[in-house]
Amino acid sequence: MEPITSGPNPWKVVWIVEELGLPYVIESFSFEDVKQKPFTDINPNGRVPAIYDPNTDLTLWESGAIILYLIEQYDTPHKISYTTLKERHLCNQWLAFQISGQGPYFGQAAWFNVLHPEKLPSAIDRYIKELKRILGVLETSLEGREWLVGDKFTFADLAFAPWNDRIDMVLLCKPEEKFQGFPNVEAWQKRMTSRPTWLKLMEKKAVLMDEQGLQINGIPKGINSYAEYEKMIEEMHKQAKA
Amino acid sequence: MASDSSNIVLYTTQTPNGVKISITLEELGLPYKVEKINISQNTQKEPWFTAINPNGRIPALTDTFTDGQTINLFESGSIMQYLVERYDTEYKISYPRGTREWFETNNWLFFQNAGVGPMQGQSNHFTRYAPEKIEYGINRYQNETRRLYGVLDKHLAKNNYAYITGDKCTIADIAHIGWVAAAAWAGIEIDEFPALKQWEERMTARPGVQKGRDVPEKHTSKESFKDPAQAEKRAAEARQWIVAGMKEDAAKSK
Repeated sequence: MEPITSGPNPWKVVWIVEELGLPYVIESFSFEDVKQKPFTDINPNGRVPAIYDPNTDLTLWESGAIILYLIEQYDTPHKISYTTLKERHLCNQWLAFQISGQGPYFGQAAWFNVLHPEKLPSAIDRYIKELKRILGVLETSLEGREWLVGDKFTFADLAFAPWNDRIDMVLLCKPEEKFQGFPNVEAWQKRMTSRPTWLKLMEKKAVLMDEQGLQINGIPKGINSYAEYEKMIEEMHKQAKA
Repeated sequence: MASDSSNIVLYTTQTPNGVKISITLEELGLPYKVEKINISQNTQKEPWFTAINPNGRIPALTDTFTDGQTINLFESGSIMQYLVERYDTEYKISYPRGTREWFETNNWLFFQNAGVGPMQGQSNHFTRYAPEKIEYGINRYQNETRRLYGVLDKHLAKNNYAYITGDKCTIADIAHIGWVAAAAWAGIEIDEFPALKQWEERMTARPGVQKGRDVPEKHTSKESFKDPAQAEKRAAEARQWIVAGMKEDAAKSK
C-alpha cells in the first residue's frame, strides 16, 4: 500500500492504514511536484493523497473515496466501522460533511488568513465565520456523546482530526485557544489524539517534514513566529513579482 | 420498484445540490414526497429541520428504515450512496458494492462533493453575491472551477467515455449535472470544454434528469444567466438573504 502525501488530507489515509495495521510505504514529495507528471498520471486532479494497492491493482484518489475503499476491503473485523446499514450510512454522511464542509472551508480560511499576501477583510471574515459555524455543528452533534456514530471511534471521527489539529495555524492563535467556545469538540479531539496510532502518525510526520526542511506545523525551519512567517511569505511574493 | 417499507421524504430547494437527489430518485423510479425548504426565509435553520440535519443545509432526506424506525440523512453524496445501495438492486445508475467501478464512482462523486461544488459555490459567491466586489476572489474561484472542469473534460475526451465512469450514467454524473448546467452563473463558459459540453447535452437529454431537475419547481434556464440585467436582478434578490443569513450564523457561533 502506498499513500502519496503532503498537507492535512493525506494523514487521514495514513492514519486509517495505521489503525488497520496494514503494511504500506509512503511516497512523499514536495509541493511543486504534485501538479506535474508523473503524479498527474496517477491522479488527473493533481492533488494528494492517492494510493496504489498491489493486492487489487487499484489506483485511487480523493481521500474520501480512498477511506471507503480501505474500510470496505480491509476493515473486516470492523474495528473502526460498522456492519449495520444504518450506522454505515451515518458514517458516510459525516465523512461527506468532512470532505465537502470542513476540508474546503478550513482550507479557504487558511488561504485568506495566512497564505494570501494581500489581507482581504471580507474574505477572511467569510471563511473564519464558516470555520466556526462548522465547529458549532460538531459541537451540537457531540453533545452528550463521545463519538459521531454509535459508541465507538470510527473513520467518520478520524477524518476530522487532521484539520482540527491545525486550527491554531489557520486562526493564528495559541494551540490551547483553538477550540475556545467548543468544549465538546475539544474533548473529542483529545480522545482521538491520545490514541497510540495518532502519536505514531505525528512521529512519522515529523520525520517527513524534517526531510523537506519544515517544522511539524508546516512552517519552514528557522522561522520562529507567525509574524516572521507572514513576513517570509510577503518577501516570497515580492520576489515572485520582481 | 420501491420496497413496501420505503417512505421517502426529500427536503430540497431548486439548487444544484437539491436536484442531485430528485434526479437520482427519478432515475430509479422511486416514489417520494417533496418538502420545499424556503432558504430565503431560513427554514433550513429552524429546529425541526436541524433535528434532521444539524448542518442546516439542503438536501436532507428521511426514510423508514428496515428496522421500522426513521432514518435521517444529509450531505448529497451520502444520500445518493444510501439510495443506490438500498434501492438500485438492478444497478441502473450504480455498480455492485466492492467492484472496481464502484470505487471509481466514489472517486468522482467525492471530486464533485469536495472540489467542484465548494469551489464553484465560492465562485458564485464572489461573482454574484458578495456585497463588496473583490477581483482577487472572483479570479481565484473562477480559475479553480475552470481547472476542475478541465480535469473532467480531459478525462472524458481521453477515454472517449459517454459518462464519467464509462458507458453508464451513475451517481457521479448526477452529482455534477446541476453544477455544470449552471456554469454560466459562476462566470464559466462551457464552450471552453467541448467533451464536457457534449456530456452535459447527453445528460440533459435523459428523461430522469429532465424530470428531477424541475423539483421542487422549474429550474432557471441557462439563457437567463447570460442576460446581464436579468442576472443582476436575480443576484440582488439572493444577495439580501445570503448576507443576512451569514450575519445570523456568525452571531450564533460566537
